[in-house]
Amino acid sequence: MANNDDVVMVIETTRCSEMKKKETVEKPEVIFEEEAVHSDSDDSILSPVVSDDDYEAFSDEDATNNSDSELLESEEDSDDEVHANIMDQQNPSNDDGLSDGVDDHDQGDGSASEDSREVVDESDSSEDEVGPRNTIGDVPLEWYNDEEHIGYDVTGKKIKKKEKLDKLDSFLAKTDDANSWRKIMDDIEDEEVELTKEETKMIRRMLKGRAPHADFDPHAPYVDWFAWDGAKHPLSNAPEPKRRFIPSKWEAKKVVKYIRAIRKGLIKFDKPKEQPRFYNLWGDETEQSGHGLSYIPAPKAKLPGHEESYNPSMEYIPTQEEINAYQLMFEEDRPKFIPKRFTSLRSVPAYEKSVRETFDRCLDLYLCPRARKKRINIDPESLKPKLPSRKDLKPYPTTCYLEYKGHTGPVVSVCTDPSGQHIASGSHDGTVRIWEVETGRCIKIWELGEPVQHVAWNPLPELPILAVSMGQDVFVLNTGLEKEESKTIADLLRVEATSATDDSESAGSSVSWSQYDKYEGIRIKHFKTVSSVEWHRKGDYFSTVMPAGESKAVLIHLLSKKVTQRLPFKLYGLPVSSTFHPTRSIFFVSTKKTVRVYDLLKKKFIKKLDAGVREISSISIHPGGDNVIVGSKDGKLCWFDMDLSSKPYKILKSHPKDITNVAFHRTYPLFASSSDDCTAYVFHGMVYSDLNQNPLIVPLEILHGHKSVNGRGVLDCTFHPRQPWLFTAGADSVIKLFCH
Amino acid sequence: MPKHYRRAGKKKEGNAARYITRSQAVKYLQVSLSVFRRLCIFKGVFPRDPKKKVKGNHHTYYHMKDILFLKHEPLLDKFREMRAYEKKVKKAVSKKNKDLAERLLTRKPTYTLDMLIRERYPKFIDALRDLDDCLTMVHLFAALPAIERENIQAERIHNCRGLSLEWQAYISRTHKLRKAFISVKGIYFQAEVEGQKVTWLTPHALQQVMPQDVDYKIMLTFLEFYETLLGFVNLRLYHSIKLKYPPILDPRLKALAADLYALTRYADAKDRAVGANDEESELRLAQLQDQLPANEPGALMHLVEDVTDDIEEDEDTKACKTLFQNKTFFLGREVPRESLLFVITAFGGVVSWDGDGAPFEESNQDINYQIVDRPTQSHRFISRDYVQPQWVFDCINARIILPTEEYMVGKVLPPHLSPFVDNEAEGYVPEYAETIKRLQSAARKEILPMPGGEEDGLESAQNLLAEGVIDRTKAKEAAERRQKMALEEKKYHEELKKEMIGMQHTQTSNIDEIRNNGEDEAGPSTRQLVEDDENMAMVSMSRKKRGLLQAMLISNERKRVNVETLETRKKNLKKSKGKESE
Repeated sequence: MANNDDVVMVIETTRCSEMKKKETVEKPEVIFEEEAVHSDSDDSILSPVVSDDDYEAFSDEDATNNSDSELLESEEDSDDEVHANIMDQQNPSNDDGLSDGVDDHDQGDGSASEDSREVVDESDSSEDEVGPRNTIGDVPLEWYNDEEHIGYDVTGKKIKKKEKLDKLDSFLAKTDDANSWRKIMDDIEDEEVELTKEETKMIRRMLKGRAPHADFDPHAPYVDWFAWDGAKHPLSNAPEPKRRFIPSKWEAKKVVKYIRAIRKGLIKFDKPKEQPRFYNLWGDETEQSGHGLSYIPAPKAKLPGHEESYNPSMEYIPTQEEINAYQLMFEEDRPKFIPKRFTSLRSVPAYEKSVRETFDRCLDLYLCPRARKKRINIDPESLKPKLPSRKDLKPYPTTCYLEYKGHTGPVVSVCTDPSGQHIASGSHDGTVRIWEVETGRCIKIWELGEPVQHVAWNPLPELPILAVSMGQDVFVLNTGLEKEESKTIADLLRVEATSATDDSESAGSSVSWSQYDKYEGIRIKHFKTVSSVEWHRKGDYFSTVMPAGESKAVLIHLLSKKVTQRLPFKLYGLPVSSTFHPTRSIFFVSTKKTVRVYDLLKKKFIKKLDAGVREISSISIHPGGDNVIVGSKDGKLCWFDMDLSSKPYKILKSHPKDITNVAFHRTYPLFASSSDDCTAYVFHGMVYSDLNQNPLIVPLEILHGHKSVNGRGVLDCTFHPRQPWLFTAGADSVIKLFCH
Repeated sequence: MPKHYRRAGKKKEGNAARYITRSQAVKYLQVSLSVFRRLCIFKGVFPRDPKKKVKGNHHTYYHMKDILFLKHEPLLDKFREMRAYEKKVKKAVSKKNKDLAERLLTRKPTYTLDMLIRERYPKFIDALRDLDDCLTMVHLFAALPAIERENIQAERIHNCRGLSLEWQAYISRTHKLRKAFISVKGIYFQAEVEGQKVTWLTPHALQQVMPQDVDYKIMLTFLEFYETLLGFVNLRLYHSIKLKYPPILDPRLKALAADLYALTRYADAKDRAVGANDEESELRLAQLQDQLPANEPGALMHLVEDVTDDIEEDEDTKACKTLFQNKTFFLGREVPRESLLFVITAFGGVVSWDGDGAPFEESNQDINYQIVDRPTQSHRFISRDYVQPQWVFDCINARIILPTEEYMVGKVLPPHLSPFVDNEAEGYVPEYAETIKRLQSAARKEILPMPGGEEDGLESAQNLLAEGVIDRTKAKEAAERRQKMALEEKKYHEELKKEMIGMQHTQTSNIDEIRNNGEDEAGPSTRQLVEDDENMAMVSMSRKKRGLLQAMLISNERKRVNVETLETRKKNLKKSKGKESE
């Protein structure tokens, strides 16, 4: 039996080494020696073994770390004792004091107790083989809650429940017992188990995730259990396959691939030579054609001036007030750099904007559109055009010769009679006056009551009558300046009461002719404010303009028949003024944006002159009839050549303020413009009979003298019909005559 | 029908076809905006202003030809390749394919900008012409700290430093520096290389401020191009004086951060070695000129005569070379060593400094000038002048050795004036500029009779001065002419006036009278007349010319106002000074 045991033990140890890889390399040798020792006695190695013994041997082996003496001891133990050990394996009460009466078998001696401890140690691996005292199995313990027993032992006897201590007692017991921390309640056996030192150690190791046993080496080298050396026969009887003898196709393919890659130069074995990073890039100065667009080099950064010095002259440093004043400037105007003075080079700090400025320069370089701009370094005088000398263009009005004073309000309109001996003027003070040109004497005054808008003298010398627009009325007044008393004027200016009512063609309903009682003349009542009156050259027709009159804004009146006609064309925009052509039956109406030209005989629209200015204020026709000047409220004067284009031939930006009136001279090549900036410009405007030659326009003179009243300056200007003289009517209620 | 109606199938024409906006261009090239930006920077493509902005005013327009030019750039493909490569690496890494990632990392696609430089600057002179920004940028980055966050790597900073020093070494070796100016922003230098004036700014050698709101990526892109450009330019310049490039420096000096000195030493040493082989080297002649003892004026003259035909060095260079000749300088510990070392050697002086690697000690008896920037100097050698650094800069700008009294240690310095300003054109000459001018003319008179090598320099100085005089006389003449014209005009107005009054115009109106009476007599009416004349001239001008004239007048006015403020300030200062003295 002992021999048998030995053998079993040996086998166990080998299995152990194999399974747990716990033993060292020397250990099997020892075992084999043992085997050798024992093998002679019994050859049947693999004979069936009693499981109990097996267990015991294993446990011994494990616990005592191959101490032969102990092995021998355990071998000498009797079967009974072994059984007892088995029975006791779960019993942790290996200490003498703690062995309860529940145990059926008391420990006899020290060796036996030691054995039992060893068995307990080994409980983890052989739980199945040694059953517990309680045999109820794996059933829920609640089933026994109401019972007095907790189960049955092997023999079928009930295992009685022990009396439970109440909480206080158990607490007291716990506090009294120093070892209470290592006591665990085993519910199935209904007993307290105290863990040994080794067990606690084991638990600690397991908690750390290591193997429970300290001497277990998880990384021990593998020892092959099969002895290959002595094997006579191969493991497999299969014949050697063919592929072992022939070269691999795939390898060959791979090799071919590599060879090709090498030949192609894809794989290089020698490292490429280190090329120098820089070389003579401009070695051959051959002209390379750049890309199609011209390269515009970036402008160089501005070079620093005296003020950027670290130690500039004192005058470059702004005073504190000036620096403060910079804060009030616009951000764009504010100087970017404020000069500063440092007494020595060592006190100069790092410039805080150096990175920022370089960055801005970078942005400029790649984000700013570049364009070539010609920078001209010329005398500003050379820009001025070469004009013919003004001396050669004489005569023209230059100096104020006479002033006609008498009006008490701004004089808005002035007009000369065809002979040039008298002028008529209308003012906002509600009077129309007639002056003798040469003496400046006021001949006649009409007090009309309302601010006068416009006065116009009949162009026929034998008919010295005056048309005056005032509010919604137009008066045709007899001046009484005719040489000999003739009846024609009186006849002309008589309106029969019936005709006023009968006259109802197109515009008659809105316009009524009537005799003016206060002075000798006719009153034509309109339905809206009349802004201007213009005579036809023959002195029978005259036109009036009512800017607010809509479709009846421009009316043509026939004085001899006392008839009113509407302009038979649609007007686009608000009319400003109207004029008759000096020789032909053509009629000009200027609206705010354009000038429209109509043929009155053919009743046809001829053309539209597009001035391209903000708002037209006045118009005048050259006595030749082919050129028109237009004054605008943005101070521009447009010269139109009717034969050339409908766009202005020349735009003269003369006045900073509104142009109030423009006028051509009837005989001299002169024209003038008057403006609210208190000046009047006189121009030389020569029109040549040769159609190929463009008109020559030369500014001649700026006439000053009027004063500004309520933001208004010169309100009207008109030339003397014979002399190169200019009459200007000012807002300061003075009329001036400028002579050459 | 809309205004810009285009029939279906009809191609775009005019500005709409010729210019595209930036976003259109990016889309057209199928790149990201950042790649487009890089390409534009490298290729030097910039937006252009079309006459008619079809897409609106707030767009950046590129010319279609420029975009096509970008489209055919091989670099564009390279950028695409790099993008693909980066994706591959990223993919490999994220798939934990370590082998592939490592293998890919060894095969990173690279690019060079060499051909781009050749393309942008077909000739070397073109590159020199466009070098200002490049040098300023490289010098700035040489002074910046390496910042990992902004991807400014230390090696690039080192590279910039190396490049800038190589450039400086070349300039100082060939004496091409012309002007230097200490400003608040840094030190401006102007050199003349192959007839091109190259100006650059070096920041003060202090810790630089790194603003947060700057896109360093853009700057680094520019820097990448500039580094390459400056490398090639330096190589070419070094080869032109028969030096190897890149230079191999004395590691000992390099370790002591005396790179510039190491470079100059290198240049000198190589010079001697190479010069012996190459007989025709103009440099050798210059070298010989340097090496010949100064006490043999005859020999030197002879040599110079022989050489003058061959030597390309212009008068200016000679003047610069001889300014500090036979002068020895010593730099104090507190003065900015690098800039002064550069400047003084460029003008022919010999320099040492207080610190490691210095060629000679402070106690050396040959030292003529010691440059010091401290309130007081405790220990002084009698044989030398102790001057502040500004003296050196003022000397080279004036091209004469200025008296040192005003620049002594602890003295309040005279103002440092910019050499880049044309005082005559500006209309205001600072007081100190006049002082310097007087000194220059005095120096010219003194040194005139002296023979020898210095003559050239003097001659050039003379020329300079003579030129200045000629300019002046011209200006004077012009002024006189203007005065005459004004007089004539006045006369004319006088006539007009007389006409106005109705007086018979007499031929005997004497100009002298008007001249004597001047403007006071003319009174407001004349002024009015002049104004009228101007107005009338304006009226008859075309709008374009009128605008031009007005712009000119405005700029003249601005200039005049600036000068006026300067003069009033000066007056005020004088007044306050006078009060103080009382």
